[in-house]
Amino acid sequence: MITHDLFLPLPLPILSLGTMLLLGSIAWHRSLTRSLAIGFFTLVLALGGLNYHLGSPQVEGASLFVHDRWGNYTALLILLSSLCILLMSWRDLHHDKTHPMDEYPLLLVLGTLGAITMVFSTNYLPFFLGVEIQALSLMGLVASRPYYFAQATEASMKYLILSGVSSAILLFGIGLAYATTGSLYFSPPPASPDNTIPAIATIMILVGVFFKLSAVPFHMWLPDVMEGSPPPVAAFMAVVSKIAIFSSLVRYFGTEETPVYLHGILFTVIILTILGGNILALRQTNLIRLLAYSSIAHVGYLLIAFFSPGQLRSEAITLYLAAYAASTLGIFAIICAFSWAENSNGSHIPKWKGLFYTRPFLATTLSLMLLSLAGIPPGIGFFAKFEVAATGVERQQTLLLATLVVGSIIGLYYYLYVIRTLMGAQNTPSLPVKEGHSPELTTLIVVLTLIVVVGGIFPARMIPQVLPSPTSPQNGLINDPVHEPENS
Amino acid sequence: MSPLPALVLLPLLGGAVAWLADRSSTTGTSSARKISWRITLMVLTLETVLLLITTFGQHSYQGPWLDHFSIPWIPIMGISFQLDMDGLSLSLLWLTLILSFPCVLLATRKIDTNAGAFHFLFLAALTGITGTFLATDLFLFFFLWELMLVPMFVLISAWGHEDRHRAAIRFFLFTQGSGLLMLLSILGLVITHYRQTDVLTFDYFTLAHTHLSSFLSMVLMLGFFIAFAVKLPVVPVHVWLPAAHTQAPTAASVLLAGLMLKTGGYGMIRFNLMLFPETALRFAPVAMGLGVAGILYGAWLSCAQNDVKRLIAYSSISHMGFVMLGIFTGSNTGLQGAIVQMLAHGLSTGALFLIAGSIQDRLHTRDMAQIGGLWASWPRLSSAGLFFAVASLGMPGFGNFTGEFLVLLATWHVNSIVAALTTAGLVLAAIYSLRMVNRIFLAPTRTPPLHATDFSIGQMSVLGVLMVLLVLLGVHPQPVMTLSLPSSLSTAAPSSGGDYGQ
Repeated sequence: MITHDLFLPLPLPILSLGTMLLLGSIAWHRSLTRSLAIGFFTLVLALGGLNYHLGSPQVEGASLFVHDRWGNYTALLILLSSLCILLMSWRDLHHDKTHPMDEYPLLLVLGTLGAITMVFSTNYLPFFLGVEIQALSLMGLVASRPYYFAQATEASMKYLILSGVSSAILLFGIGLAYATTGSLYFSPPPASPDNTIPAIATIMILVGVFFKLSAVPFHMWLPDVMEGSPPPVAAFMAVVSKIAIFSSLVRYFGTEETPVYLHGILFTVIILTILGGNILALRQTNLIRLLAYSSIAHVGYLLIAFFSPGQLRSEAITLYLAAYAASTLGIFAIICAFSWAENSNGSHIPKWKGLFYTRPFLATTLSLMLLSLAGIPPGIGFFAKFEVAATGVERQQTLLLATLVVGSIIGLYYYLYVIRTLMGAQNTPSLPVKEGHSPELTTLIVVLTLIVVVGGIFPARMIPQVLPSPTSPQNGLINDPVHEPENS
Repeated sequence: MSPLPALVLLPLLGGAVAWLADRSSTTGTSSARKISWRITLMVLTLETVLLLITTFGQHSYQGPWLDHFSIPWIPIMGISFQLDMDGLSLSLLWLTLILSFPCVLLATRKIDTNAGAFHFLFLAALTGITGTFLATDLFLFFFLWELMLVPMFVLISAWGHEDRHRAAIRFFLFTQGSGLLMLLSILGLVITHYRQTDVLTFDYFTLAHTHLSSFLSMVLMLGFFIAFAVKLPVVPVHVWLPAAHTQAPTAASVLLAGLMLKTGGYGMIRFNLMLFPETALRFAPVAMGLGVAGILYGAWLSCAQNDVKRLIAYSSISHMGFVMLGIFTGSNTGLQGAIVQMLAHGLSTGALFLIAGSIQDRLHTRDMAQIGGLWASWPRLSSAGLFFAVASLGMPGFGNFTGEFLVLLATWHVNSIVAALTTAGLVLAAIYSLRMVNRIFLAPTRTPPLHATDFSIGQMSVLGVLMVLLVLLGVHPQPVMTLSLPSSLSTAAPSSGGDYGQ
C-alpha cells in the first residue's frame, strides 16, 4: 500500500520539506530574510528536481501521481512564476519593519505545493487536496497587507466563501463520479444514455473548475479579491492558480473530444467569458482590476484552444500559457516597482499619466507587456493568439472565432487606454518619481521583457525548449501531451 | 546574397541606433539633439543605395520575379521569412523611399521632444511598410502588417495635435480589428491547404494552388478584402482616416496618406486579385460600387471642409476610390491605372500634407478661414501648394491624370454608367482643390505672418524632386506602367506575362 503510492515527482517532496523547514525556522526564531532565503532555495531546488521522481511508475490509474511532459511543463511554469512572485514581494516585505511577515514565504511555498500537486495528480484525492492547500494558503496571502488591512480582510473573506462554495460543488461532483464508477481515477466517468448521474458529476466538476478559473458566469469574486490583495499575491492568483487548474482541466478530459453533453455548456461559457471579461474590463480605472478582467478574457481564449482538440491544440495551449504568464507577471512586476516608490499600491490608472516622460524604461516595458496581452507583434502574445485562432479555424468553430475577434477588439481598447494614459500630458507626473533601488525587480522586468520580445520574434525557439518533442506538422504534431510517460 | 532582408530590417536597426544615440547624448545642445535625425538620414541613404543595387544589379534569380529570399522562421508551423520582389513591389518601394526623404528633410527635423524615440518609431513604421510590400509568406505579411500599426499609433498619440488620443485609438481599433479578420482568412486558407495536401505552409505561391469551393473562396477573400478596405480606405470603413490624418504630426500624416494607404491597394492586388482571381471577378460589381461611392462621398465631403488637413484627408478617400475601381475592373489597363494612381497620389498628397504641416507650424492653425492669402508673403510655399493641388485634382500632364484616365477608360469598357458617375467625382475634385487654393493662397491676406519665413531654396528643391517625378509620371508613364505590373504567381518558369484577368 505504502510502496504502491510512493510514486512521487520530486518537486512534491522538496516543496513539502521546504514547508516543514520554514515552519521550524519560524517557530525557532523569526527572521524575514531567512524565511525568504529558504523559500527561494526551496523553489529553486524544486525546479532542479523537475525531471526526477521517487519510486517507479505504476500501471495507469494505479498511482496517485503521474510524471509526464504536460505536468512537467506546467509545473515549470508554476515554479518559475512563483519565483518571480517571491522576488516581487521581496522589497515590499522588507520595506515594512513594523509588521514582520515571515509567514509570507511559507504560505507562498505552500500555495505552490498545492498547485504542483494539482498538476501531477491522476487521482481525485490528491487533486482535491492540492486545490484546498492552495486555497487555504491563498487566504492567508490575500490578507497579508498591513496598510490596507480592512480591504485585505474583506477580500480574504470573499475568497474564503467563494472558494468554499466552489470546492463543495467540486467535491459533490467527485462524490457522484465515485458513486458511479467506484474509482477515484482522474477522468470523466463514462456516460450512458440511461444514466444521467455521470453527466451530472462531470458537469459539477466542470462548474467547480470554472469557479476556480473564474470563467463567466462564475467570475465575480476574482476582481474584488485581486484588488484587495497585495499585487504579488494578485499575480499569484492570476497566473499560478490559473495555470494549475487549467492544467488539471486538460488532464481531466485528456486529448480526446470532450463529451457531447458538455458542448453546449462549454460553448456558452467560452462566449460569455470572452465577451464578459473584455466588456467589464472597459470601465476599470484600477490597473489590477483591469488585469483581473483581462485574465478572465484570456481564460476564455485558452478555453477555445481547449475546446478545439486537433493537431495544433497542444502547441497553442503550451505557448499561450507561457505568453500569458510572462506578460502578466511582467505587468505585476512593474506595478510592484511603482508601488514601492509610492508606498502604496498605486494601481489607479489616471495616476500613471505622463510616465513615458518620467520613467521611460518602466513605461516602455509596460506598454510592450500590454501589447503582448492584446496580441500585437512583436510580443509573444501575438503568436499565442495566432495559434489559438488556428485551433479554432482547424475545428471550424466559426462562432467562437467571431467572439475571439470581437473580444480582441474590445480588449485592444482598454489596453490602449492604459498606454494612452502613460503617454498623457507631459508635465503632470502624478506618481512621485522616486528612483528606487530594486535591482531584483529591474532584473525581473528585463528578463520578462526579453522573454516577451524574443519569444514573440522566435516562437519556434521557445516551443521545443520547453516541450522536447520534435514533432513536425507533417506527421501529426503532438499526439498525446498528457499521458506520455517522461523517460528521464 | 539577396539585399531584400537588409532592405526590410535596416530601418528598424537604424532606428534603434538613432534612439540609443539620442539617449546617450543628453548634453542638450542643438547639434547633439539632431543626432537621431542625422542617423535617420543616413539610414535612408543606405536604403536608397540598397534599392539601387536591387534595381540595377544583376539578378541571379530566374523567373518572372526579380528577387527572392527565404529562410525558415518557425519550421513547426511551416512559416518562413520569405521575401519576393516583383515590379509592383519595386515601384512601391521606390515610392516609400522617395516620400521618406522629404518627410525627414522637411518635417521630422522640427521634433525636439524625444526626437530619438520619434525617429525610431518613424523608421519602425517604414520597416513594416517595406516588409508588407515584399513579404510572400502569409504569416510574415500579417506580422509586418500589424507591426506598422504600433509605431503609427504611438506617433499619432504622442506627437499629434489637440484631439490625438481619440484619433489614434480609432485608427488602431479599425486597422487591428480588420486585421484579425484577415488573420482568420489566412488561417482558413492554410488549414484548407493542409487538409488537402498534408503540408502546413504559409507560402504564398503554394497556397495559391489550393482548391477552394466557391463559397469558401468568397468568405476567405472577404476576410482579406475587409482588412485592405479599411486601410485603403473604402467608404463604410473610412471613419478612422480623417481624424487620424488630421491629428497626426506632419511626418506621420505623410506616412499615413502617402504609404500606408498604398499597403491597402497593394494587398488588394496581391492577395485579393491574385490569390482568388475568379472570386474577385465575381465580387467586382460590389467592389466597383464601393469604389464609386468612395470617389463621390470623399469628394463631396472634401468640398465642405474648413480644416486643410481634413480636406486633404477626404480627398484621399476620393482618390483611393479610383484605385479600388481600377483594381476591380478586371483588365490590365485598369490595374495599371490603379498603380499609377497610387504612385501619383502618394507623391502629390504626401507633398500636400507636408505643405499643410508647414503652414500649421508657421501659423498654428489649420482653419482655412483664418489662414487666407499667403501668396504675397510666402510665394514659394504657395506656388508649391498650387502645383500639388492642381496635380491632385487630375490636371492633364500630371501622374494623377494618367492614373485616373486609365481607370476611367477601363471602367468605361465594363460599365459606362459607373464611368459617368466617376467623372462627377473629377468635377468635385476640381471644386474642392480650387476652393482650397483660393482660400489659402489667393484670398486677401488675413493674418500677418509673424516671424515665419518662406520655404528655403533647399526645401523647395526637395519638393521640386517630387514635382519632377509627378510630371514624369504624367507625360511619360509607359516605363512605370510596364515595370509595375505584378508578376504572375508561378515562381519557376516565366509565364506568358501579367495577363491574369483578360
